[in-house]
Amino acid sequence: MFYISLLVVLTLIVAAIFLSPLRWKMWVAFAATSLFATAAAIPAISILAGGEELSLLPIVSPFFGAESLHMDSLSALFVLIIGIAGIATLLYSRGYLEHYLDKKSSAHLSLHYTALVVLVISMVLVVLSSGGFSFLFAWELMTIASFLLILFDAERQQVLRAALAYLIMMHIGFVLLVAGFAGIFSISGTGNFADLAACFSCGRTLPIFILFLLGFGMKAGLFPMHVWLPEAHPAAPSHVSAIMSGVMIKTGVYGVMRTLWYVVDSHELHTIGLIILLVGIVTGLWGVILAALQNDAKRLLAYSSIENIGVIFIGLGVSALAQAAGNNAVATVALCGVLLHTINHSFFKSLLFFGAGNIYSKMHTTLLDNFGGVAKHMPVTAILFFIATIAICALPPLNGFVGEFLIYLGMLNSIREGVNTIYAAGGLLALALIGGVVVLAFTKLYSTIFLGAPRHHHVAESTEVDNLRIAAMGIPATCIILIGLFPQLAIGVVSRVVAQFHPSAAVVIEEYISPTMWKISLTAWLLIIVVALLYALKRRAHSKRDIKQGPTWGCGFTSPNIRMQYTGESFSEGLESIATSLTQNTVEGRALSKSEVFPSTHGYRVRHKDKIDRLFAAWWMELLHIINKRIMSLRTGKINHYILFALLFLVAIFILSLFNLI
Amino acid sequence: MIVTALAIPGIINRTRALLAGRKGIPFVQHLRNVRVLLQKGAVYSTTTTALFKIAPTIYLGAAIVATLMIPVADLYPLISFEGDVICFAYTLALARVALILAAMDTGSSFEGMGAAREALYGALIEPALMIGFATLALFCGYTSFADIFEYEQSFDLHLTIVMLLTAFLFVKITFVESGRLPVDDPRTHLELTMIHEVMCLDYSGIDMGMIQIAGWLKTACFSMIAANAVAATGCFHWWFAVPLAILLTGVSVGVVESSQARNKLSRNTTFIVTISALAALIFFIGYLLKLNINI
Repeated sequence: MFYISLLVVLTLIVAAIFLSPLRWKMWVAFAATSLFATAAAIPAISILAGGEELSLLPIVSPFFGAESLHMDSLSALFVLIIGIAGIATLLYSRGYLEHYLDKKSSAHLSLHYTALVVLVISMVLVVLSSGGFSFLFAWELMTIASFLLILFDAERQQVLRAALAYLIMMHIGFVLLVAGFAGIFSISGTGNFADLAACFSCGRTLPIFILFLLGFGMKAGLFPMHVWLPEAHPAAPSHVSAIMSGVMIKTGVYGVMRTLWYVVDSHELHTIGLIILLVGIVTGLWGVILAALQNDAKRLLAYSSIENIGVIFIGLGVSALAQAAGNNAVATVALCGVLLHTINHSFFKSLLFFGAGNIYSKMHTTLLDNFGGVAKHMPVTAILFFIATIAICALPPLNGFVGEFLIYLGMLNSIREGVNTIYAAGGLLALALIGGVVVLAFTKLYSTIFLGAPRHHHVAESTEVDNLRIAAMGIPATCIILIGLFPQLAIGVVSRVVAQFHPSAAVVIEEYISPTMWKISLTAWLLIIVVALLYALKRRAHSKRDIKQGPTWGCGFTSPNIRMQYTGESFSEGLESIATSLTQNTVEGRALSKSEVFPSTHGYRVRHKDKIDRLFAAWWMELLHIINKRIMSLRTGKINHYILFALLFLVAIFILSLFNLI
Repeated sequence: MIVTALAIPGIINRTRALLAGRKGIPFVQHLRNVRVLLQKGAVYSTTTTALFKIAPTIYLGAAIVATLMIPVADLYPLISFEGDVICFAYTLALARVALILAAMDTGSSFEGMGAAREALYGALIEPALMIGFATLALFCGYTSFADIFEYEQSFDLHLTIVMLLTAFLFVKITFVESGRLPVDDPRTHLELTMIHEVMCLDYSGIDMGMIQIAGWLKTACFSMIAANAVAATGCFHWWFAVPLAILLTGVSVGVVESSQARNKLSRNTTFIVTISALAALIFFIGYLLKLNINI
């Protein structure tokens, strides 16, 4: 019944999008998404506000027994995130694809829009499904839809390769998930998440949890499975990157949270918490250092997504460790932080990708060193991007700070109470370093694109984007500011979810987190008021004085030019000299040698490639080559050989059944 | 707090003059300089955007809010809540970001140089700061400045050891955060080797004055934390902590600046990472002492 109705709905959407005229396709897709998102968001809001959990409909699946669509507060939270991001993405896509309307065929665009709608629907199904077959079905649907979305610019070789790499990695993850569910099924007879409890109680926690962690980690981009992210995001159109990076990778986080829920044994929870914390630390540090070294805006953003997933996992690990030690207060604080950071990241990351899309659609490049001074030509984009930059650097008074603050607070509380002190200190050290390097990465991104003088003539020809795109960017920007200034409201949203994890959480939130959030909110307001006041004072003083304009002070150097500005590469040069062992550099062109007295024109471009990437690619490729060669040697093309193989197969079956092995 | 902020630069100058055997500039010379700056007009570069004009106010505003979180021994701070140590660190990070972006906004290669260095050193000093706070939290059992330093005033050997070590750590952090020797030399004549000063090359008048005041406030915050840590081991009163903060930082910066040469820039990274390592070591010592393991 479920699959039939899903099929009918999808067919209707496909038909509507394919049949509508070119310029209306987006609005049809938008209408479908917003209808669906609103329908899903209404019960979600009521659940988060304290309503009853919702069992939507039972599903009969061919494998893994009975399942249902079920919405509890964790799903409700993710449904909300997906809905908001989905609507913003669809709104944004019109302006971004305007440019392609006469280049791509109508069917191509229809396919793109259909995939967008299907992606949103499938993500909602993923978080609603109670497990087993319907979960895997929705998961696969999500992978296929996002694969089609990445493939939009399929003429470019690079896009094709990125999309294929994505598809392959996602299916490795998929196999691991199938294995995980098969594991549950073999123990309890059905394949639901809820049966994990039975599964975990009979002492096979670690292997099954690791299967799920690997499977979900592939989607979330945990180290070292993150290699698809920095390839896929530069290849995909910006709004697709926005929804994939902002929301889709979070389904991996959702999966891990869902599985973690059912681990009860404190000893095992301790081990698992430690694993998650370590993975989080490595992912976060790796992501942020690589992000700071990138010279391509979208690649930088992709690495920063990896870093944020790392931060989320650090918080999750701290929470699990605290819970294992029986310290509910710390577990609650850290979990609140994790959930808030998950929400926050979906907002500022989609805003950043939208911003990158604006620039790309005007200047057709994302290489940092081709920009400079864009803020003068695209002021609104510059302001919105600035908001997102401050938010992602986790600086007050915006939302990024609130989430990371709670994670930090969880760790500090863990330290002061003397439980898991060393682990918490390790997490603290890593998070502080991540926080510092993020500032480096994003000041580099913002200043090389928007500030300074133009490095390329494209910049001078660019203009601000259309209002619809600005409106789409306004949605996440508003959420960023709201959460930043009124964090107590955001805590209200996540409190139900945390209460589901820890029964005593309501008290902790009521007595500890809420008052702190009030103070944070007041501090944020104070900061804004002080800055505004100072600015007003300065303006008043300036109104009576002599204000001049002049060229930038050249320090006595008589002929400075634009090419002498600091570039993205030179900005992160100091970090590069420390982190050189993490990357494999490919250099195009040739650096100036010392013996050149009269230098001629030089082209020079460095790309810092992930070492893990090389390792992965080379390793897999080698292995596949060898296996392929072996198998190919069996394919002789002679009938008598094939008959021999068939005979050997029968004999093998016979012998195996003789020993009762099959 | 304000007294501390205003007095430290004077003390540094006096100490330097004394050690160099010079007569030196008057004690309040820095105040006069800033007063002149605040009365001037301004020149803005044509390359810059509105961000350049707002940045000094953000810088000063953030420094003021951060200052409000620091207690002066037994004087309670204006803003105080659980976890304000984190808020303090990130508010100062906001100040740093504002100045870095403003420096990049001018499109000058010199200011870019300063911005890049500031971003890197800021990133590397962050772990030291956080672990320093973690040590305090571990030993005192609180995550707010006010509670940390009010924790215990009776004499306790373990507490004294940890507090003195932490104070030493924060004095070191002050060197980095306020752009002093051996990391940065505020008095160099060569823009190529500057860090903090080179970032404000294009500022003049009120903006420059704001940046200077914010710099004093930042220095005062860190030295007050160090002074509080020392005061918490015995005499926990504001009339003890304020002069202590002034002298601790003022004299140590003055002595270091008179006796040491500036680091080579490539050595700075090592210097800062060493501070972080030191912080981790102090944390570990604190942890062992807390568990009553005597070393």
